[in-house]
Amino acid sequence: MTADSKEVRPAAAQQQAPPAPDGAGRTVPDWLRRAAGISELWTFVILVVLVLFFTIAAPGKFFTQYDLTQIAVNAAIYLVLGVGMTFVIITAGIDLSIGSVLVLSAVAAGEYNIHHGGPDAGWGTVAVCAVIALAVGAGWGVLQGAVVATGKVPPLIVTLGGLGAALGIAELATGGQDPAGAAATHLQNSLGFGKVLGIPWMVVLAAVVTAVFGLVLGATKFGTHTLAIGSNPTAVRRAGIGVGRHLVKVYGLMGLLAGLGAVMWLASYGTTSIAGHSTDNLKVITAVVLGGTSLFGGRGSVLGTVIGVFIPAVLTTGLIVIGVQQYWQDVAVGVVLVAAVYVDQMRRKTREQA
Amino acid sequence: MLSIRSRRSALVAAGTVLALTGAAACSSSSGGGSGSSGGAAHKKVRLITGVKSDPFYITMTCAAQTEARAKGMDFSADGSAQWDVSVQRPLLDSVAASRPDGLMISPVDTSALTPSLKQIQSAGTKVALVDTTVTDDSIGITRISSDNEKGGRVAADALAKLMGEKGSAIVISVKPGVSTTDARIKGFTEEMKKYPKIKMLPTLYDNDLPATAASQIQSTLAAHPDLGGVFAGNTNTGQGIATGLKQAGKQGAVKVAAFDAEPDEVASLKAGTLQVLVAQDPAAIGREAVDQLAAAFEGKSVQKSIGTDMVAITKANMNDPSVSKYFYKSGC
Repeated sequence: MTADSKEVRPAAAQQQAPPAPDGAGRTVPDWLRRAAGISELWTFVILVVLVLFFTIAAPGKFFTQYDLTQIAVNAAIYLVLGVGMTFVIITAGIDLSIGSVLVLSAVAAGEYNIHHGGPDAGWGTVAVCAVIALAVGAGWGVLQGAVVATGKVPPLIVTLGGLGAALGIAELATGGQDPAGAAATHLQNSLGFGKVLGIPWMVVLAAVVTAVFGLVLGATKFGTHTLAIGSNPTAVRRAGIGVGRHLVKVYGLMGLLAGLGAVMWLASYGTTSIAGHSTDNLKVITAVVLGGTSLFGGRGSVLGTVIGVFIPAVLTTGLIVIGVQQYWQDVAVGVVLVAAVYVDQMRRKTREQA
Repeated sequence: MLSIRSRRSALVAAGTVLALTGAAACSSSSGGGSGSSGGAAHKKVRLITGVKSDPFYITMTCAAQTEARAKGMDFSADGSAQWDVSVQRPLLDSVAASRPDGLMISPVDTSALTPSLKQIQSAGTKVALVDTTVTDDSIGITRISSDNEKGGRVAADALAKLMGEKGSAIVISVKPGVSTTDARIKGFTEEMKKYPKIKMLPTLYDNDLPATAASQIQSTLAAHPDLGGVFAGNTNTGQGIATGLKQAGKQGAVKVAAFDAEPDEVASLKAGTLQVLVAQDPAAIGREAVDQLAAAFEGKSVQKSIGTDMVAITKANMNDPSVSKYFYKSGC
């Protein structure tokens, strides 16, 4: 197995970073270069420029502790979903179902909560609810992954089917209405609105998830295999790695994180919001692509996704703060998305020619 | 699915035959009897709502049913599973096939259902449009809905009072171009002009996404620390705003007004996450529609359009029975 991963690693690394002189390649660990890869630099510059612009345009209103906390809290769920999506897209896949899976997980957990104490449910119920949400999400993800792994149906179609089916089941279970009492007060007051050292738990949780899976992608065999599959699945298969099994794991991970998103959603919104997740997939895919992950697979990083999540978040918040009419916000996010990807592609091209 | 649907249409067909023979029997027997009082009794009236599971429509259905039963009508109701023309249209067509005397409907689209409705109307069915309407004026003998602009005014007055008639206020709504919510916003904005110390901020739209509403309200707070009141377009938006305010530590300090009085909204009012509910009166809509149809059957004059009242519910008056009767029901 070690021989396999060694064989795969250089191929993935070449995709990721410019061919460095031998000496430099040795001094900086491979995983560190990949985690903080230079490919995120451009999007990071865009983010910094945006923050600077709004800070100057709205002095004392934008770059404040309140505002930064607010942006981070609102980005937390998308960040968690984005981490999973990064893995999926790196395998040259896509998951359109995440919003529906989140709703289904939230409904499953919510229904349990309603029948075991409702808003006043104890900590035991809260824990069971969280486990249910994670299990439902992971289960759904594994199911989709298994279908994708057969290679008979493209991920786009599998998860498009999943998008409808998961939401349909959630609507069947609830009659289409958000049930009352889906979240316990304990959950809301801890994860939802609680803080540790002034930082909301939502942000802490999202940061931990991001850090852990950033490391998983950059520094473990699991991450290497993920990158390699997106790069060249045939080569990976010939190297003796179970591509199908790995895809099941990747889609399972996405589902698991959608389940975690459901727990976070219940904690902060206190309801299942069945109708409120129809565009989660587009938002998250936008963030991942903004972060430099290639839709064609084989290239990407969790750090990039973090930046990609924050660009639209900063943009919408900033534009409201400086009082720009709302319709411009959608235009601005669209323009920045296309511009960021365009610049990124230009850079790659010049680098490849050099 | 298909088999169920075809079985249902078979049942409807069977029902039609029964109803026709029944009607024939009725007319022959009541020919010499009390003609005038029999005008509305035994008439077959159907109600098709916009969304079957929505407490607003459940409340409307319950009231219509009670009123229709009291008048001796043959009443039954159904509704679309979703707010979708493709779901409501087959429902309408199957009801049309049963040739009811009266049809009450909340069309989910302003034009797509017009051909079906025209057809059913030309077949002799009296149509009453309840809650929502269609653009074609020739459809319906009566149109009954909430006066949404007035609802916006009611919300503005209640909110202004809670804000102490000063500070900034904002509307966060679902999306532009929806006739009901646009009318509410218009009424709200115009009424707020009566309060010189209240500054209206530009309206924001969240596309029915609570997460967007949460971020919008927090950003607005950053820009306008004097924000005192928010008018929420619907339930989802209201939830997002409540979460946003709680995370910003401003819950209660910024007053929130929302439309409708669904059970979970009433719970939010009780819990203090919402401060004003502007309740429509779906029960009155249902009752009025039945009354107007009855008047039409009896050959009396019919009101072409009726706007029902709205009432502002706050924590202070929510236990008053004359107010709490406006709470929507989740079942009859």
